[in-house]
Amino acid sequence: MAEAISVKNINKEFPGVKANQDINLSVNQGEIRAIVGENGAGKTTLMNIMYGLYQPDSGSIFIKGKEVKLHSSRAAISNGIGMVHQHFKLVPSFTLGQNIVLGMEPQRMGFVDNKRINQSVKEISEKYGLPIKVNNLARDASVGEQQRAEILKALYRGADILILDEPTAVLTDMETEELFEMLRGLAKQGKTILFISHKLREVLAVSDTTTVMRLGKIVGTVQTSETDSCQLAEMMIGRDTVGGRMRQNGVHPGEVVLELKNICVRDERNLLAVKNVNLQLHGSEVLGVAGVDGNGQEELIEAVMGLRPLLSGEVIVHGKNITHTSTRKIRESGVAYIPSDRNKSGVAIDALIWENLIASDYYRPPISAWLSLRQKEILQIAKDLIQRFQIFTPSANLQTGHLSGGNIQRLIVGRELGSERAMAVVASQPTRGIDISGTESIRRTLLEYANRGAGVLLVSADLDEVLALSDRVVVLYEGELYDAGVVDDEVRKRVGNLMTGSKEGCINDK
Amino acid sequence: MEIDLNRIITLSLFAATLRMATPVLLATLGGIFSSQTGIFHVGLEGLLDIGAFFAVVGSVATGSPWGGLVYAIVACSIASLIFAFVHLELRANEIIVGLALNIFATGMTNFLLFAVLGATGYYQSPLLKGFSVVQIPVIKDIPVINELLSGHFPLVYIAFFMVIVVYLVLYRTPFGFHIRAVGENIDAAKAIGINPKRIKYAGLLIAGVFCALGGSFMSLSYLNLFSEGISAGRGWLALAAINFGLGRPIPALVACLIFGFADALALRLQQFGLPSQIVLMLPYIVTFLVLGASAIQRETRKRNASRLKVGHEHA
Amino acid sequence: MINKKIAFPSMVHIRRIFGEVLTQFLNYLLILFLGLVIGAIVIFLSGKDPLTAYAALWKGAFGNWYKFADTLDRSTVLILCGLGAAVAFRTSVFNLGLEGQLYIGAMAAAIVGFAVPGLPKIIHIPLCLLAGIVAGGLWTLPVSYLRIRWNVPVMVPSLMLNYIGILFTQYLVSFPLRDPDAGMAGTPVLLDTARLPKFIQGSTINIGFIIAIVMVFLVYWFMFKTKIGYELRMVGYNPNFSASAGMPVKRSTILAMLISGGLVGFGGACIITGFFGRFLASFSVGYGWDGMMISLLAQNNPLGVLPASLFYAALANGAMTMQSQTGVPQTVVGMVKGAIMFFVTAQVFVTYFRGRMKKWKLTSTG
Repeated sequence: MAEAISVKNINKEFPGVKANQDINLSVNQGEIRAIVGENGAGKTTLMNIMYGLYQPDSGSIFIKGKEVKLHSSRAAISNGIGMVHQHFKLVPSFTLGQNIVLGMEPQRMGFVDNKRINQSVKEISEKYGLPIKVNNLARDASVGEQQRAEILKALYRGADILILDEPTAVLTDMETEELFEMLRGLAKQGKTILFISHKLREVLAVSDTTTVMRLGKIVGTVQTSETDSCQLAEMMIGRDTVGGRMRQNGVHPGEVVLELKNICVRDERNLLAVKNVNLQLHGSEVLGVAGVDGNGQEELIEAVMGLRPLLSGEVIVHGKNITHTSTRKIRESGVAYIPSDRNKSGVAIDALIWENLIASDYYRPPISAWLSLRQKEILQIAKDLIQRFQIFTPSANLQTGHLSGGNIQRLIVGRELGSERAMAVVASQPTRGIDISGTESIRRTLLEYANRGAGVLLVSADLDEVLALSDRVVVLYEGELYDAGVVDDEVRKRVGNLMTGSKEGCINDK
Repeated sequence: MEIDLNRIITLSLFAATLRMATPVLLATLGGIFSSQTGIFHVGLEGLLDIGAFFAVVGSVATGSPWGGLVYAIVACSIASLIFAFVHLELRANEIIVGLALNIFATGMTNFLLFAVLGATGYYQSPLLKGFSVVQIPVIKDIPVINELLSGHFPLVYIAFFMVIVVYLVLYRTPFGFHIRAVGENIDAAKAIGINPKRIKYAGLLIAGVFCALGGSFMSLSYLNLFSEGISAGRGWLALAAINFGLGRPIPALVACLIFGFADALALRLQQFGLPSQIVLMLPYIVTFLVLGASAIQRETRKRNASRLKVGHEHA
Repeated sequence: MINKKIAFPSMVHIRRIFGEVLTQFLNYLLILFLGLVIGAIVIFLSGKDPLTAYAALWKGAFGNWYKFADTLDRSTVLILCGLGAAVAFRTSVFNLGLEGQLYIGAMAAAIVGFAVPGLPKIIHIPLCLLAGIVAGGLWTLPVSYLRIRWNVPVMVPSLMLNYIGILFTQYLVSFPLRDPDAGMAGTPVLLDTARLPKFIQGSTINIGFIIAIVMVFLVYWFMFKTKIGYELRMVGYNPNFSASAGMPVKRSTILAMLISGGLVGFGGACIITGFFGRFLASFSVGYGWDGMMISLLAQNNPLGVLPASLFYAALANGAMTMQSQTGVPQTVVGMVKGAIMFFVTAQVFVTYFRGRMKKWKLTSTG
């Protein structure tokens, strides 16, 4: 079979991260290629390079054997590459047909010719077996229909190579099945398909070949028919069982400090993002919540912290039911919170450092008198936190935005854990995107906290982190919580299977 | 007090409604273009001022109201381009730039009124040639209808005709599709290679041209004069109309007609010594309520939708 | 590489802070200069001498003790409007309804001022001022309600309330509260017990100005030194962060609107009880809008509102003298103000300087 697209020696570096290192990849025409890997493995970077959204630092791209330079997505489109993003890019008040032809509208005397839109969209829709209602408004269409419109948008522009970024993340099982049927049909008609996924069951079900990426490199490419989910999971997350373990084994957990009962939560799109989660966090325990991003972690934590409405269920802190109270009440009952996106909800980047350091305690003594803030005490506390948590800054009177990411994260950790009142710590992605020394010190702080008797709920998409710190691991997959048990030599394999969706042992669909 | 409604509500009141609605309608149509590209255009008020003033200057200079119109269009286009440059290239907040434009426009027109035309407060002169009314051939002979529809100034007809044009451009041409795509989902527009900045420039420029028409109507039709603060809040009213119609031309037209009617009625009430202010408040109160009502509708729909889906998923 | 960064953090930061302060200072200096230059060019083009015009402007604003006092008096309402805008903008609440709040506050103060007889000065004056504050504050509630309950941005509703407020007060002075003896539409004259005491013979300046100065520091203290002010500012910086830290985000929005409207209403009360002595229809020459500009000029800092207001007041008062003495119309000041706002909003010079610094850094590192 002829080669459709290939890349040679692609390198791409972002500040502090080598996102792609020496990537070589070749995909044949009519092939369905799955690209799998953990969060941060470099899949999306690679796809964005192939779609012209990023420029590689070095390396070259070939389409049908001919080298091309993709300076923009426009160049990619004109070279026959189409991309379906995870978040659809449709105009809500346009019909699906209008969305598909947007930018290349058929015209009659200067006006958009809706008749011809319908006609030509129907034509390609039938040709490729992607049924849609052309006159449906995009905002009324189902998720699956929106996705088909996105695929048709690429095909309408003459795409021969389709890149799909986690196409099944937003679909129901049924819609997923339909999508796969359509992808197989497209491949049969000579289209080349690359799709990114975390769900090995699906990868095994639909792809011809699978390329596994890890830490910016390609681990290997296998014929999907000759592999199973266990092998792929191992390639994805490595064999190294529990190297770099920072937590001593066999800690005796204390009494329950945080309990979640039958928690259900919705996401922005009103879909059920967290399904009936039950969880008990004990004192002196680090409970790791592993899982690929977007499996309900954010929604679960925000609901626990009172930042998002709970659909059902109860949150109990130290025997006290705090369901449907305010964030402040939840914090006062003894929960500290390290949010996952530090710039979005961890700090006010334009505020001063001391202002951020007092954000969860500003309203009570000794920081605040009845009305006014006590400057002297605040500076004392700020200085103390800056020193204890090694926040590198000449002064507490500096804009927080001047600090590096690691320093900002230490600031947040200092604020949340400095007063040592919390009995439960909810830490979400506590070391994401920060340097090694910062990561080290934050992890140590969390462990010390657990050693003093508090419970730590560590939510992280970084599996190595979860395994290095936790006593026990649970996995969130599609909003459901699975127990992976205490950390032992076999835990990595168990977690790997759970987070890629093969909970009942190895799957081999072909 | 006895009020003779028959003397207040007359056919000429409705004719006056069309007349009063015209400048607001023109500014509204222009503002719709910028708002559909996603820009909240606070500077309409200032642009109307500039348009009105330069229409007067142009009319005096060329001896023709159409010359005045050209002057107004050029001046408003330049002002709009400055607005666009500061907002799009220098990334300044559109509202603050709009406010700055308003202040600048008031200052500039008032100053130039003195410096160019040698007048303070207002300018009126026989040199100033205004538009003359148009009698429409057939309609002018039909009783009742003629009083309502014939004998208006050309810009009145242009304004109402433009509603159709704007509707067609926005909803039937590729250009209009691109404008709405940029305003509704800028990522979608970018993803298929539309240049949002260029579209926004175009939207602002069109807003400027429409304000030039509206301004010219204020100073060169009906009363041929320019006075300080001639726009008298019509730019804000236009903003209200745009919001009333959520950026769509037809509902915005309805809003403008309501506003025009309130204006005309207020004028009439004033002549009878009745409180016109209460009537003049109506457009703003209505807009306030419409904003509230549409938000309530939107939010409750969202809530209902989520309730429906619960049952669906559990089933 | 990491170690190097940690070894000298202070030098890097100090240079950065210094650069920022210097940038801002140069920025304002240049903006002021350029605004005046534009004014000068315009004056020159109209055939007048810019230097004599500006000299007259200066004399009109600060030429002698009385002129100076009058300028201070003029700044009273500007300061209070500026503070009102600053509180709202600091909380990221785009309250565009200052003009309406000003009229409503002024009307409330006027009504208490002429309709409540028999009170001693010491009670009557505070009562009038309080009426202005309360009325101005309450006038914001419909907007806050829409924002909090139904998620409507405050901008357009607050704008609509401007006109409703202005027209409503116009109605009141044209009909039910009209004083037939007044030359124009206005309420009856305030009782003497409601007038703010003047303290300089020959000038209109009154204790309203003193109160305004006190308010500058009070608002500064409130915003920067109290826990509620802290909440407002944090919500203004980043509502997501404030919510996850457990701060009352919605309450802060309502409060910011209330305080903003209250301060502006206070300004209305001061100008009525201090300067006009009765409510007059369309008494405000855009003080509410000026207040917003002043706040933006002051980067929404209450302390910065004071000099910015004085600058605006000086321009306004000086312009009158300039017009009468040199024939240059006072409206030229409007152009200068507009031009200055353009430069401020565009951050033209800040962007330019930062760009220069970056370029310099790039070329120096290779």
